[in-house]
Amino acid sequence: MPPSGPVVPGTLDLLILRSLSLGELHGLGIARRIEQITRGAFEVKAGSLFPALYRMEHAGWLTSSWGESASRRRARYYQLTARGRRQLEAETIEWRRVVTALGHALKEPL
Amino acid sequence: MNRSDRKPDRMTDELRAYVDLLTEEKIARGLAPDQARREALLETGGVEQVKEAIRDVSPRRFFDRLRQDVGYGLRLFRRSPGLNLAVVLALALGIGATSATFSVVDGVLLRPLDYANADELVVVMHRRTNPVAPANFLDWQRHATSFASMGAAEYWTPTLGSATEPEKLFALRVSGEMLPMLGVAPAMGRFPLAGDAGASEAVIAASLWQRVFGADPGALGRTIVLDGRPYAIVGIMPPRFTFAPFWATRAELWAPLVLGPRATSRGGNSLRVFARLAPGVSLDHARASMTALTTELESRFPGTNRNVNVTPLKDVVVGDARQSIVVLFAAVGLVLLVACANVAHLLLSRAASREKEVAVRAALGAGRLRMIRQFLTESLLLSAAGGTAGVLLADWMISIFKQIGAASIPRVQSIQLDARVVAFAMLLSILTTLAFGLVPALRLSRPNLTSALRDAERGSSTGRRGRRLGRLLIASEIALAVTLLVGASLLIRSFTALRAVDPGFAPDHLATFVVSVTGSAEGAPGRRLGFYQDLLDRVRAVPAVQAASAINHVPLAGDIWGFPFRVEGRPEPAPGEVPTAAYRVVLPRYFETMRVSLIAGRDFTEADRSGAAEVVIVSQYLADTYFPGESALGKRIRVHGGAGWQTIVGIARHVVRSDWQDRPEEEVYLPLLQVAQYRDDASPAAGYLSYVVRTSGEPSAVIPALRRTVRDLSASAPVSDVFVMTDVVHEATMGARFVLTLLGVFAAIAWLLAAVGIYGVMSHSVATRRHEIGIRMTLGASRARIVGHVLGEGMTVTAIGVIAGAAGALLAGGAMSSMLFGVTPRDVPAFAWAVTALVAAAAVACYLPARRASAVDPQTELR
Repeated sequence: MPPSGPVVPGTLDLLILRSLSLGELHGLGIARRIEQITRGAFEVKAGSLFPALYRMEHAGWLTSSWGESASRRRARYYQLTARGRRQLEAETIEWRRVVTALGHALKEPL
Repeated sequence: MNRSDRKPDRMTDELRAYVDLLTEEKIARGLAPDQARREALLETGGVEQVKEAIRDVSPRRFFDRLRQDVGYGLRLFRRSPGLNLAVVLALALGIGATSATFSVVDGVLLRPLDYANADELVVVMHRRTNPVAPANFLDWQRHATSFASMGAAEYWTPTLGSATEPEKLFALRVSGEMLPMLGVAPAMGRFPLAGDAGASEAVIAASLWQRVFGADPGALGRTIVLDGRPYAIVGIMPPRFTFAPFWATRAELWAPLVLGPRATSRGGNSLRVFARLAPGVSLDHARASMTALTTELESRFPGTNRNVNVTPLKDVVVGDARQSIVVLFAAVGLVLLVACANVAHLLLSRAASREKEVAVRAALGAGRLRMIRQFLTESLLLSAAGGTAGVLLADWMISIFKQIGAASIPRVQSIQLDARVVAFAMLLSILTTLAFGLVPALRLSRPNLTSALRDAERGSSTGRRGRRLGRLLIASEIALAVTLLVGASLLIRSFTALRAVDPGFAPDHLATFVVSVTGSAEGAPGRRLGFYQDLLDRVRAVPAVQAASAINHVPLAGDIWGFPFRVEGRPEPAPGEVPTAAYRVVLPRYFETMRVSLIAGRDFTEADRSGAAEVVIVSQYLADTYFPGESALGKRIRVHGGAGWQTIVGIARHVVRSDWQDRPEEEVYLPLLQVAQYRDDASPAAGYLSYVVRTSGEPSAVIPALRRTVRDLSASAPVSDVFVMTDVVHEATMGARFVLTLLGVFAAIAWLLAAVGIYGVMSHSVATRRHEIGIRMTLGASRARIVGHVLGEGMTVTAIGVIAGAAGALLAGGAMSSMLFGVTPRDVPAFAWAVTALVAAAAVACYLPARRASAVDPQTELR
C-alpha cells in the first residue's frame, strides 16, 4: 500500500462526488470512503473536507440533512443531487481524458 | 438547495459530530476515551480554524455572506445585550425625538397653508389681527383695487340640534367670497349659493360629518338646526381643510355671513378680513393702496379706519413663533448630537472590549476586509434597529401629541411624520455607527498581532486611548445636556412666572359674551341704554349667576381702545406727548364681578349717572405715575367721553390687557350711565357691550341660559364672543406652554442620554481595569478608596462637562431672552437646577460601576 498523503489538487471534488455516488454519507464517512476507494492513497482532513462540502452544497451538487449514525449519533449526511450526478459524470470523463493523455505521455519514450 | 436548516451554528454542530465520530472510531480501535478524544481533536485541526476556512470559502454569494455576518452580529447582540440595547435606545431616542418634534413644528408652523397659492393670501385688519367693522369691510371690498378677491369671516358658536341634546359648535359665518378665495373645493357638494338663496345653507368639515353623520354620504342635503334655525348641508370639505388658520381654528361649519342692517355699522368690529392679491400685485403695492384708501375713509368717518394693515396670512399664522422655532431647532440639533455622541462612545467601549476577539480571528486567518465587512454589517444592523425603533417612537409621540394638542394647538391635525427629517436623522445615525463601529477593524492594520493579543488580554494601551476619547465624548455630551437643561429650566421658570402673573381679576367661574344692538330694534333712538340695563337685570336673575356686570371691552378677550387724557392743573402737553389711557366703560358692580380689587376709593354706583358729578376710576399705574407721592383720589382728569373734568373716585389694580405679558399701563374706567356715547344713538362704539358673569358652578353650563335670556329680551340682538374666561387665559399662555413642553422633553432626553453615557463609560472603564483594581487592592487600597477613585474619575469628567455646558448656556441664553418672562437668561436658580439635576444623575451613574469595582476580588482577578 502506498503511503497516504494529501489529495492531489483539483481532485477532491471528484473524490467527494464519487464517494457519494452510492448513497448518503456524513463527513467522516466521506473521508473514510475516499481513503477506501483510493486504497489509502489519499487522506482527507476536516480542514479541507468541510470547506469543500459547503462549497459544493452551495454549488447545488450536494444536499445535506441531519441524520443518525450507525452508533446512533447525530450527524450531518450529504447526498448527491441530480446536478451533482451530472457533475460527477462530466468530471469523470474529463479525468479519464487527462489520465489517458498523461498515461500516453508518460509511456512514450522521450 | 437546502437552505432551511443552514442555521448559524450548523457548522459547530457538524464539526462537533465529526469529532465525536472520530473519537468513537478511535475508541473502537482500542484507545482510551480521553486519548481518543485528544487525537481526534488534533486530527481535526482546530474547530475554529475549520470554521473560518468554511466561512471564507463556502458561501460565495453576497447575500449568503451578508446573512452570515448578520447572524454573527445578532449572536454578538445576544451576547452583550445591555450595551447594544443602549446603542439602539440612544439612536431611537435621538431619531425619534428629533423627527417627532420637527414634524410637529413643521406641521403646526412651517408647512405652507393648505390653500391654493397660499402666498397670495393676506389678512386686512386693524393693527395685525384686530377685527373690522362691517361697513368698513364693505367699503374696502368695494374700493380696494389690489385684490383679486376680498372676504370676511365672523366667529360663531351656534348650538347644534334640539333643546334636549344640544352641541356647541365652533363655526364661522363667511361672506360669499371667502371660501372660494381659498381655492379648496368641497370634497362633496358645493359652496352655499350667493345671496338669499344660500342664506340657510352650510358647508361642514369632514370631522363634523364623521361625528354627527357617521360619514354618511346621504348627509348632503340634510337639514340641521343651528341656534334654532334650519340649515341645509350643501357641501362637505376635504378631511384636512381648516379655516381660519390662525383664529377660530376649530371651526367645523361655515355658513353665509348675512350682515343685514349691520352693513352700515362702523362699530361692533367682529369681522376678520381676508384677501387674495390680484395677479402681479406686490404686497408693498397692496399696502400702499390700502393705506391710501383707509386714509381717505378715515377723513370721512373719523376713528373707524385707523391702523389698517395688510399682512401675509402665513406671517399671521406663524406669528411670533419664529424665535421659538429657532430655539426648538437648536434644541433638536443638540439632542441629536447628544444621541450621536452617546452611540459613538458606546461603540468605542465595545470596540475596546472586542480587540481580543478581533486579534484572535485575525490570527486564525480572517482577512482585514473580511473583518471590516463584519463590523460594517454590525454597525448597519445597529443603526437599522435604532432607526426603526426611532421611527416607531416618533410616530407614537406624534399621536400622543395630537391627542394632547387636539383642543389647544392650531392645525394639529396636519402633523405628519416628516420623511425628510427621518431620512436625515437616520443618515446621521448610520454615519455615526459606521464611523465608530469600524474602529476595531481598522485598528487591525497594526502589524503586530501578537502584541495586540497580549495588550487586549491585559486591557491596556489602546484601551486607555479609547477611554480618553470616550471621556471626551462624555464630557461633551454632559455639556450639551447642561445647555439644554438650563434652557428648559429657564423656560419652566418663566412659564411659572407667567402663570403666576396675577391677571388682576379672577378668571375662574367667569363667562363673557358680547351683545350687539346696532341695526336691531334695541339700537333705535333712546332704547339702547335701557336695553343694556334691562339685560343686566335679567342676567343677574339667571340661576347660578352670582354677579354680573358689563364693560365695553373685556380684558384679554376683547379689544383695547386708547384715548388721550389730561390732568387738571398741569400745563398743556406738547402735541404728540399727550398721555393716553386704555378706555373702559363699565356698568355698576363691574369690579365686584371681575374681582378686580380697588386699592383706594369706591366702585361706581347707580347714582353715577348723567346729571350727577362726573367721576372716573383710574388704574394704579396711572395714579402712581401722574400723582406720585400724593393721593389721586379727588383729583380731576379729563377723558374722551366726558363733558367736563372727571373726579377720580377710585384706584383699581392693574388688569392684563390683550397680551398676558403686558406691563401695567394707564387705564381709565368711566361709568357707562354717565358716558354720552351710550345715550347718543349715532355712536357705533356704543352699539355693543360685553357682559361678564360670575357663576357659582361651571360657567359653560350657564351659557345656554344666558343666550336664552338675551333672545327672550330681543330676538334681533346677536350674541357673539361667548367665552369661558379660563379658556381665554389658557389660550393667552398657550404658545409658551407649547415651546416649554417640547424643550422639556428634549432636556429630559438629553439628561437621560447623558446619564446612560456616563454609566456606560464608567462601567466599561471598571470592566477593563479589573486587573489594575485587583493590584491596587492587593497593595492595600480599601474598598472605600476604590469607590472614591472611580467616583472621582467619573465626577471629574462630569465637572468638566458641566462647566463647559454652563458656559455654552450663558452664550446661548441671549438668543432666548425674548422668550423669557420674569427671569433673565443668567437666572441663577435655573442654572443651579440644571447643574444639580445633571450632577445627581451622574453621581448615580458613577456610583453603580464604582460599587462593582469595589466588589472586585483580587484573588480571582490576579490568578
